[in-house]
Amino acid sequence: MKRTLTTCPYCGTGCMFYLLVDDKDTLVGIEPSSEHVTAKGQLCVKGWNAHHFVNHPDRLTTPLIRKNGILEEVGWDEALDLVVSKLKQAQSAGGKDSAMFVSSAKTTNEENYLMMKLARAVFKTNNIDHCARLCHSSTVIGLMETLGSGAMTNSIDCMEKADCIFVTGPNTTEQHPLIGTRIIENVTKNGAKLIVADNRKIRLARLADIHVRWKNGTDVPFLNSIMNVIIAEGLEDNEFISKRTENYEELKIVVADYPPEKAAEICGITAQEIVDVARMFAAAKRAMIVYSMGITQHTHGVDNVKCCANLAMLTGNVGSPGTGVNPLRGQNNVQGACDMGALPNVFSGYQKVTDPDVRKKFEKAWRVRNLPGEIVHTVTTAINAAAEGSLKAMYIMGENPMMSDPDQNHVREALEKLDFLVVQDIFPTITSDYADVILPATTYAEKDGTFTSTERRVQRVSKAIEPINQSRPDWQILCDIAALAGYEGMKYDSVSDIMDEIASVTPIYGGISYERIDMIGLQWPCPDRNHPGTKILHVDKFSRGLGKFSPARYRPSVEMPDEEYPFVLSTGRSYFHFHSGTMTRRSQLLDREQRFPYVEISPQDAAEHAIAPGSWMYVATRRGEVKVKANVTDVAKKGVLFMPFHYKEGPANLLTINALDPVANIPEYKVCAAKIRKAQ
Amino acid sequence: MKVLVLTEQKLMEFLASARTAYDVRVPVSLHDGTRVIGRLGEGPLAIKGGAINQKITSIFFPHMETVLKCSNGGFESPEPAPKPMLVVGFTKQDADCLEFIDRFYNDKFRDDVYFNKRDNAVIVCVSGRCGANGKLLKVSGDNCDMELICDGQDYIVRAYTDVGKSLIEDIGSTEIVPEETLEQIEKESDQLCVEGLDLLNAASKLLLEDKVPDEFWQSISDRCIACTSCNLACPTCTCFDVFDRTNGCGIDRWRIWDSCQLDGFMREASGHNPMGQELIRTRRRIHHKLAADVTRWGHITCYQCGRCDNVCPTGIGIMSVCKEMVEKYG
Repeated sequence: MKRTLTTCPYCGTGCMFYLLVDDKDTLVGIEPSSEHVTAKGQLCVKGWNAHHFVNHPDRLTTPLIRKNGILEEVGWDEALDLVVSKLKQAQSAGGKDSAMFVSSAKTTNEENYLMMKLARAVFKTNNIDHCARLCHSSTVIGLMETLGSGAMTNSIDCMEKADCIFVTGPNTTEQHPLIGTRIIENVTKNGAKLIVADNRKIRLARLADIHVRWKNGTDVPFLNSIMNVIIAEGLEDNEFISKRTENYEELKIVVADYPPEKAAEICGITAQEIVDVARMFAAAKRAMIVYSMGITQHTHGVDNVKCCANLAMLTGNVGSPGTGVNPLRGQNNVQGACDMGALPNVFSGYQKVTDPDVRKKFEKAWRVRNLPGEIVHTVTTAINAAAEGSLKAMYIMGENPMMSDPDQNHVREALEKLDFLVVQDIFPTITSDYADVILPATTYAEKDGTFTSTERRVQRVSKAIEPINQSRPDWQILCDIAALAGYEGMKYDSVSDIMDEIASVTPIYGGISYERIDMIGLQWPCPDRNHPGTKILHVDKFSRGLGKFSPARYRPSVEMPDEEYPFVLSTGRSYFHFHSGTMTRRSQLLDREQRFPYVEISPQDAAEHAIAPGSWMYVATRRGEVKVKANVTDVAKKGVLFMPFHYKEGPANLLTINALDPVANIPEYKVCAAKIRKAQ
Repeated sequence: MKVLVLTEQKLMEFLASARTAYDVRVPVSLHDGTRVIGRLGEGPLAIKGGAINQKITSIFFPHMETVLKCSNGGFESPEPAPKPMLVVGFTKQDADCLEFIDRFYNDKFRDDVYFNKRDNAVIVCVSGRCGANGKLLKVSGDNCDMELICDGQDYIVRAYTDVGKSLIEDIGSTEIVPEETLEQIEKESDQLCVEGLDLLNAASKLLLEDKVPDEFWQSISDRCIACTSCNLACPTCTCFDVFDRTNGCGIDRWRIWDSCQLDGFMREASGHNPMGQELIRTRRRIHHKLAADVTRWGHITCYQCGRCDNVCPTGIGIMSVCKEMVEKYG
């Protein structure tokens, strides 16, 4: 039996545990780390089962090339040669920006950095993005504009220090379980106030002092109205506002248009609920906002984020323990993938590609010329461009857009139209069904690297077993592709060397090295080798200098319920499964727990449609219809349906709408119009 | 009084020599300081520090293991280990837990996979002044083969079984320790755990008399996130699920720790689930050890090892729940 300390591959909480390996190099268990700052000897159910999928017989183990419509096993050389030649061919025909590189929040920082480098330095395009586009792109933009940094302002241990926690949009006990438990502990043991603003009666709502079940998509009027009350009742922190912020007058003008009575009507709640929330939040010495997809996944996602930041600044709740604006990152390394510049507009460390000086710096470091300065595609617009025929090739590493992007039929049409699609993954997916080349990658357990958790903590991922069969770590595949494409600057002896390069070009990671994060991670910004890391951002001044109030006005969601489609459909994750299910559905206990696609429906709605608990039913939108099991529960509000997107046989994203936030291009996963019928 | 006393260095030498005949497992400190029962040399010896956080009975009932192999039309049991194990690091409570699951796995249907490892294994308890933060660990007595009673620095060695005595003879030399040292440790040890046992007995009585209403269980289950850690850390939780996995030339049947806190644990193929509500599952977790087992085995099957209270992220381990229960309804 061998034990290897590593970081959990599921959510962004960043728990570390030991992988147990038997004498046959098979993963046979998990033991929590009792010393880890977040795990503290504890784990959630996914953490306890994070070893299970690794040795599953479905693993991709050999490179595959589609010949005459059939995938055939080939050697690595043949597969990689084809990838390079086809990508170059597509770019020759359609220009550099006719190829798209999709990086992955599941892979390591080093791999995201290399995918970004491959796209920019080798293939000379800024068409590099990843699934943060689908979850927190609105955070990155909204918090950058208001606070100057698009990350969680505080640390996980601050959850235990807040006097009031305002949870809006995450289901923490299911999606970031050990963060959720810190909230529960603070509420039940210390008597912290808890405000839950969520349409669903999530677990935290059972323990909340106030639970507001507003209409989906009315976040802006709700938050504006809270600020309206705070200002009207003189509960704002004037000293903080005058010393630390700018543009306050503009905020006052906008929120003045949202008195509680008016907002209550839009939100479908009472004015008193808004007043109660405002008073409770403003009265707390240390008040914290915790948000996630319920805020970000809207066509007004950036506006929602800015309103959260405005509320925190208005009450002086930024830059100290137990406060802050805390977006919870949903994947093990979605924070890191953003940090590494796997985004079209920035290099690593959020250094803008449009800045000529930044480009020069990277040209020098990478020993290349003419790095591109134009921003063309995000993940979501790339799919649109592929469907229109202007994007010719895609290289997808560790993502599954057929399951995770909105409007599956639209994605299918896009992938079918591509001249060339390469998918690099650990299991076959319904996205790889459309691939011309499939490259077998290793899981987290078979490689070294780092993940960055939601609290900006850069932590080690350590190899526990050898790569299974012919699978290879993503970073090695990327380096080989760069070399085959004629670039000499992506040759490394180890992943530690890659981190050293990242540190040399990325100021916020300047002090990170494998030696320093051997046992316990470091939180960025960590600018030099002597810096202890940063637990709380914006302590004395905001990353942008002054915090900027950026008020927003209400824009309704794109597709509201009507006579034909009377329900609101919202989508997300469940506790036992993760994203497109490739890992959790191959884990015995997790899959057993939730084996079938389902929809949460209120008891009233189910009764009105004669739908029995656990029976099959159909959910339809203007995009299609899906057969699911009825989970009849009071978690769901009357008129609102919730579906997880894990099931390929009942894909929620067949139903969702491809409507994007105009700034962040994030899809509106949380609101579209739906109808239901009983399955016969 | 003449007894065998070992310094940590001498103990290491003894354990190293025992490797000829045994697969020796000891408390070690891993890379980040986490203490587990591991192989000698896997990390620095870490006997001091109290009970190990991991499910101590995982030595014989691991998280996941093959239970049989199917190939060429036949079935094979896993090969028995080449050497029996010698395991150091059980506390008195851990040894009580082990004694119970030995009985459990031997009752009616003998679990060969478990006893492949358990048979001939030597259990060495640790007690005395080596608990967490210098606290005293209860002296085990005779529910193990050997015991190491720490006087704060060195270990007084006692053997209870023939195999234990034979091992001690191999060590040889003895030293004199002040009689009062051992007497004092045993006296202090006798005072321990009474309070905890009283609490469990009081809670057990309430459950057997059906005096705890559903609203109590609902309030506890509201705080349960179904992480399953309580079951996966508990040395007397023995439930497992099975699954099959192809291995290239056949099929392996595996078992993996299961948890009664999961909805799927007792869900029938029809969809009917006798434990389909959170509050029922939460109730079962406590009721099983404090009431159902009392009826079946004649005693409570929680031995107050404290693991579920340590590992539960929301503070609803068995002792915490019993405390709330007795305060409200006792």
